[in-house]
Amino acid sequence: MTGTAGTTRPPSSSYGGLLTQIMNDTLDADYQVVAARREREPASRHGRNRLAVVVVLAVFGLMVGVSALRTERSRPEAAAERAALISQIHDRQARLTALHGRLGTLQTDISDAQTSLGNATAAGSRAALRIRTLSTLAGDVAATGPGVVIRADNAEGSTGAGTGGVILDTDLQALVNGLWQAGAEAISINGYRLTALTSIRYAGQAITVDYRSLSPPYIIAAIGNPDALPAQLLETPGGQLWTALRSNFGIRFHLARSQRVVIPADVTDRLRYAVPAGAR
Amino acid sequence: MIVLFGLAIGIVAGFFFEPTVPTGLQPYLPIAVVAALDAVFGGLRAHLDGIFDDKVFVVSFISNVLIAALIVYLGDQLGVGGQLSTGVIVVLGIRIFSNVAAIRRHIFHA
Repeated sequence: MTGTAGTTRPPSSSYGGLLTQIMNDTLDADYQVVAARREREPASRHGRNRLAVVVVLAVFGLMVGVSALRTERSRPEAAAERAALISQIHDRQARLTALHGRLGTLQTDISDAQTSLGNATAAGSRAALRIRTLSTLAGDVAATGPGVVIRADNAEGSTGAGTGGVILDTDLQALVNGLWQAGAEAISINGYRLTALTSIRYAGQAITVDYRSLSPPYIIAAIGNPDALPAQLLETPGGQLWTALRSNFGIRFHLARSQRVVIPADVTDRLRYAVPAGAR
Repeated sequence: MIVLFGLAIGIVAGFFFEPTVPTGLQPYLPIAVVAALDAVFGGLRAHLDGIFDDKVFVVSFISNVLIAALIVYLGDQLGVGGQLSTGVIVVLGIRIFSNVAAIRRHIFHA
């Protein structure tokens, strides 16, 4: 600044830190160097480069003008972009709020549906359990469990009806009714499941169960308490009838307890007219 | 005064003829303007110090503009263009402020 600067820089600028250096050495050192040289040899080279200065300044003005113009031009575009972005932000925020509301509604719906699903599942499993019990009882499915197996046969040597040694349909009806009375839960005769609609009849020379002819010996299987069933059977009219049949006519009757009796399902589909009342 | 006339001519030409800047150079124009501003204030201060030299001014102007644009270009290639632009503007801004302070001292003797 004093015009005495040489080609070597003062040492302070090397150690003062970058920012300090920037702040102190603001003037191009060349000005000082050239000024010092001009003092030494005052050759007048003034005016030769004045035109260059004018040109450079014109270029500078051009740059300033162009960049100011560009900034000015791009301002409306930037403002429009900004406005568009702001409106987009607002749109998205409104959408987000709407979606949040919808989310809440849907979550409520979901929890409602889950509650009702739980109820339905519980009701369904109760209904399924009830269906299993009822279809076992109705003979719709095969049943297994402890029970008794009765083997009944005509008296030895008896051939025709009316001799007294032949088992009649009423005898079998009485026996089956006695078993039901004694607490049997499922009964089959010669492998045919007895249901509420099963008939036991006498047709021609044979007893029919649901119009299927049977021939002796008759195997009657019943599921129930194997310890209590035989004794209770004897107390029923059917049981007493068979006691009399055995002692009076020699009809063979043998009862065996079993821990596992299998009774098949009733294969016929009987309900053609009846539907559950109150069902849709 | 002819110097100020040149400046005025440049500005007017810039506004009226609207020369199109090549798209490749457009990002460097603002930095170049700041660098040129630094050179112009440096020249003005030298003028007030009485040591103004035409050749030094022309050279410092051109080299300032070129180096500033080059640094920013280099930063763009390296992926730190924004940061380097900020650095260049900070340094040039400090120099401009200091020079303007010196000019103010000359004018107001304060």
